[in-house]
Amino acid sequence: MEYTYQYSWIIPFIPLPVPMLIGVGLLLFPTATKNLRRVWAFPSILLLSIVMILSVYLSIQQINRSSLYQYVWSWTINNDFSLEFGYLIDPLTSIMLILITTVGILVLFYSDNYMSHDQGYLRFFAYLSFFNTSMLGLVTSSNLIQIYIFWELVGMCSYLLIGFWFTRPIAATACQKAFVTNRVGDFGLLLGILGLYWITGSFEFRDLFEIFNNLIYNNEVNFLFLTLCSFLLFTGAVAKSAQFPLHVWLPDAMEGPTPISALIHAATMVAAGIFLVARLLPLFIIIPYIMNFISLIGIITVLLGATLALAQKDIKRSLAYSTMSQLGYMMLALGMGSYRAALFHLITHAYSKALLFLGSGSIIHSMESIVGYSPDKSQNMVLMGGLKKHVPITKTAFLVGTLSLCGIPPLACFWSKDEILNDSWLYSPIFAIIACSTAGLTAFYMFRVYLLTFEGHLNVQFQNYSGQKSSSFYSISLWGKEIPKKIKKNFRLLTLLAMDNNERASFFWNKTYQIDGNVKRILSPFLTIIHFRTKNTFSYPHESDNTMIFPIFLLVLFTLFVGAIGIPFNQDESNLDILSKLLNPSINILHQNSNNSVNWEEFVTNASFSLSIAFVGIFLATFLYKPIYSSLQNLNLLNSVVKRTPNRVLRDKIINGIYDWSYNRGYIDALYTKSLIEGIRGLAELTHFFDRRVIDGITNGFGLASFFLGEGIKYVGGGRISSYLLLYLVFVLIFLLIYFNFHFLNFTK
Amino acid sequence: MNDFPWLTIIVVLPILTGSFIFFLPHRGNKVIRWYTICICILELLLTTYTFCSHFQLDDPLTQLAEDYKWINFFDFYWRLGIDGLSIGPILLTGFITTLATLAARPITRDSRLFHFLMLAMYSGQIGSFSSRDLLLFFIMWELELIPVYLLLSMWGGKKRLYSATKFILYTAGGSIFLLIGVLGIGLYGSNEPTLNFETLANQSYPAAMEIIFYIGFLIAFAVKSPIIPLHTWLPDTHGEAHYSTCMLLAGILLKMGAYGLVRINMELLPHAHSLFSPWLITIGAIQIIYAASTSPGQRNLKKRIAYSSISHMGFIIIGIGSITDTGLNGAVLQIISHGFIGAALFFLAGTSYDRIRLLYLDEMGGMAIPLPKIFTMFSILSMASLALPGMSGFVAELLVFFGIITSQKYLLIPKILVTFLMAIGMILTPIYLLSMIRQMFYGYKLFNVPNSYFFDSGPRELFVSISILLPIIGIGIYPDFVLSLSVDKVEAIISNYFYR
Repeated sequence: MEYTYQYSWIIPFIPLPVPMLIGVGLLLFPTATKNLRRVWAFPSILLLSIVMILSVYLSIQQINRSSLYQYVWSWTINNDFSLEFGYLIDPLTSIMLILITTVGILVLFYSDNYMSHDQGYLRFFAYLSFFNTSMLGLVTSSNLIQIYIFWELVGMCSYLLIGFWFTRPIAATACQKAFVTNRVGDFGLLLGILGLYWITGSFEFRDLFEIFNNLIYNNEVNFLFLTLCSFLLFTGAVAKSAQFPLHVWLPDAMEGPTPISALIHAATMVAAGIFLVARLLPLFIIIPYIMNFISLIGIITVLLGATLALAQKDIKRSLAYSTMSQLGYMMLALGMGSYRAALFHLITHAYSKALLFLGSGSIIHSMESIVGYSPDKSQNMVLMGGLKKHVPITKTAFLVGTLSLCGIPPLACFWSKDEILNDSWLYSPIFAIIACSTAGLTAFYMFRVYLLTFEGHLNVQFQNYSGQKSSSFYSISLWGKEIPKKIKKNFRLLTLLAMDNNERASFFWNKTYQIDGNVKRILSPFLTIIHFRTKNTFSYPHESDNTMIFPIFLLVLFTLFVGAIGIPFNQDESNLDILSKLLNPSINILHQNSNNSVNWEEFVTNASFSLSIAFVGIFLATFLYKPIYSSLQNLNLLNSVVKRTPNRVLRDKIINGIYDWSYNRGYIDALYTKSLIEGIRGLAELTHFFDRRVIDGITNGFGLASFFLGEGIKYVGGGRISSYLLLYLVFVLIFLLIYFNFHFLNFTK
Repeated sequence: MNDFPWLTIIVVLPILTGSFIFFLPHRGNKVIRWYTICICILELLLTTYTFCSHFQLDDPLTQLAEDYKWINFFDFYWRLGIDGLSIGPILLTGFITTLATLAARPITRDSRLFHFLMLAMYSGQIGSFSSRDLLLFFIMWELELIPVYLLLSMWGGKKRLYSATKFILYTAGGSIFLLIGVLGIGLYGSNEPTLNFETLANQSYPAAMEIIFYIGFLIAFAVKSPIIPLHTWLPDTHGEAHYSTCMLLAGILLKMGAYGLVRINMELLPHAHSLFSPWLITIGAIQIIYAASTSPGQRNLKKRIAYSSISHMGFIIIGIGSITDTGLNGAVLQIISHGFIGAALFFLAGTSYDRIRLLYLDEMGGMAIPLPKIFTMFSILSMASLALPGMSGFVAELLVFFGIITSQKYLLIPKILVTFLMAIGMILTPIYLLSMIRQMFYGYKLFNVPNSYFFDSGPRELFVSISILLPIIGIGIYPDFVLSLSVDKVEAIISNYFYR
């Protein structure tokens, strides 16, 4: 037991060998490493499973004993400054460990199939394992510096994975945007850490809290400075968890492969901000302003995310905005001081959202074989519809995820969301009203996604009318030689792509590495297309492979049952639910519901209220999006079902307004582009100009002046006797003139 | 055993053996290349051996000291010796120069002269890092200017003459002030000139004189470092020079300025330094922001990297100005770390230029597919340059941050302001570095070059970049590798500020 704790520092390092080996292999022996392709997937899953077993064991210990364990080593030698590394195992850590490892394993499993077409398969696994390492390091770290280190590392992994398909210009800009936005957060985090160090002289969490309590108690600290520091610390969490002012990177981050969106941008990395705030809650709780600020940011994000998700065309973007909104719920809960509810929602949301993302990945996978590899098409909900018939298993799983996120019992998110909503009534009625109505919005947009995707008929034939570039679009093959070709018939696209792939495998890369398995997979869509072309009918999307269905199935199970850890089964006060048992020693809930035995009547009334709101949302969505016939009108929230009424114009205006707001991402991105990016460009131009013209100008001017001076002197000293004589005579003349002037003046006196 | 003149051998060996290059038989460039590389490796091994066996880490005093009278007339001594401050830069010099000679293998034009100049620079740099005599320091300082000028003006790009002239004028102009300072200090106060560092360190001057000396040295080192507004030679020089020269310039030459600041300004003139340090910190903070915001405006790839080095030099200046143990350690670490990172970035920029023959960023694009290895190394090193944790740059910058935070010399508000500015630099750095990578590698582009068929980096280039990368990661994970060298000396220097 003690033994396990002692060696649990190894947890983050267990998955590390995989990325190191793959990296070295890819650099030094590319051909051999790429031949081993699938072999590399197994050790990464295996190692992560070991971590999972270890962390399950640790958390069982935590439930039984609820003890903290901390251990540190010194990192640098210096007399008056020492950095220490260590690890801290407490309930929060063990919860996060289990979350990361379970979702991580499922995603690794899933992406084995999802990425099998891809040339970057190995690179993908290396990045993913490295991400796991740094995320595990983040949650086990015991001091702020260590948190900062791993915080940056997960940011870098996210950068690499968003830009995974780096030939796409959109992905290239998206990954840069994500990194820079996160750097803004890191800027705050670092300054906050430095400020705290300046106040307390320590980085360790527990020392920090202790010293703080003493300082506050003795009133020895500048309160304004302290508030500033904690505000800066919170900025880090805002950026990482995509909260209101710094949320812009998250929707763009969906350019990455879908497994990444599930793991990093829904379940784990974006939860790191919540984790940090939860970790530092004992510090924030002392400062009421910060708590209010946190809940304010939370509620703004909840509302903003939900409204922005209303009219997205891209299935992943709409899920991303939903993630943002749910993260806002967690932040709100933390700001209210209900630590337990926030963590509960973190867990349930992670599983539900991972399920939704993996489901959407499966949809995208099956759409890709019809509409091509462009994310504009394969993720476009306009082109989907009627998938119910073709991908039944995915449909069921997606429905479970949707219902869970809408808060329908007995699925996971119901319990946690209900808890947050309950707590918000105790905190402030205004926040509660906003939060509850957003729960309705959540139900609305989630069902919109579901209905647009699975109900109705397949809308692939509309892809010609979908975008601006409808008549001539270019096929983008990801890794191969770019052959921009005008597609006359859309369905030739894939044949081209497949051919392109083969071609590329054969001669574009000078070293041919025949990837076993890959070639087969490339060929399979090829064959279907031929089949289609001969028959000249639609080819329909297919259900994904079992390797992809299996993780989805497991996540369905998680979504169904994970809520159980937070439900009190017994009315006895002694018999608490698992989550409370785990968290009880370390929490300090501000709330009045100190008696943990839940009043069932109150619970039922609250639950029925939130349920009714959710059902209103679902009903509205069904009303608007239930396809009478499929048309593009669906998207515009305008529906032919809506009867012409006298105030139709006003109504249209409102609806169009909402639509525009959502479609343009609340104009926030545009504002940032206008102000910040243009500003920085302008600044760069200005300083460049200054550097070139003024500072360098002085130097060059100096050089030029001395050059002209030299030339002048050279010209004067030309060595011609006649010019010397002329000069001499001129001066003599002047002298004589002056002399005679004086002379005559004197003479006349 | 200790009487054996190890340091003299180390200093003299490269230039002496280098001059034999001219007597080698004409058998093509291959012989010369191998000869030079062998000498570089031999020298590196010799240095490492000497330091391993004859250098005690826990002794802050000068070791391996040598003292020979050279010119009787004005007491000029050949005084060499190393301490914790100079051992790091000397090892860095050996390492980077060896790799730069390896990187310079494609050079075929006048390769005799080129390799001789590389070796001459080697001597000059080690000489200036290890000299214990002011005048010797000055002589060594001037000695390495000439090779750089020739390397620039003969093997550079299109505007090489302009940049070479600019370089030599700037640095020679700085050297005047250095000479003034050296002579002023040497001749001050006594009948016969004292040029020994040890005796000078204990000497005190009237305030006005000390400030004048300080300004003289500061200008000389500010040109070299560079400190704004004396930096404009650097982008031009780096933009035009061949990449192996760039490696030397960015890796070692810039560090000489910072080294000089610590060695002379901090050690010999402590009163003036504590007077000037607020200005240094202000200038450093401005420099970080200024260079980082100039960098995105550069179209030329190498100039962009050059501005990034200027920006990173700001951290060294702040570390030196903070007058704390931690801050100065951070500055020393940043000297080493930027030596590696800057050299590696210039090397990679040069190798990718060799392939696409384009210098302007907006003409590039989509290089990731034909050149995956260069792409990988470039990304990793840019990450290192933007201070990603786990790499050396992060530790150095973090130490500087802590240095400024824990400094007792400054009030709260200036500290907050300076920290804030430095941290803004932290946001600006990824903007220019990542957009550089994006413009070079990401996206897709058809090259209209007739033979658009690139070789990815071969084993030689891969070896160079990996062997620079390894110490970067090593220091990042375990910074004591470097800190243990300098920590005692730094403590000794800083303690001067509290006991005098």
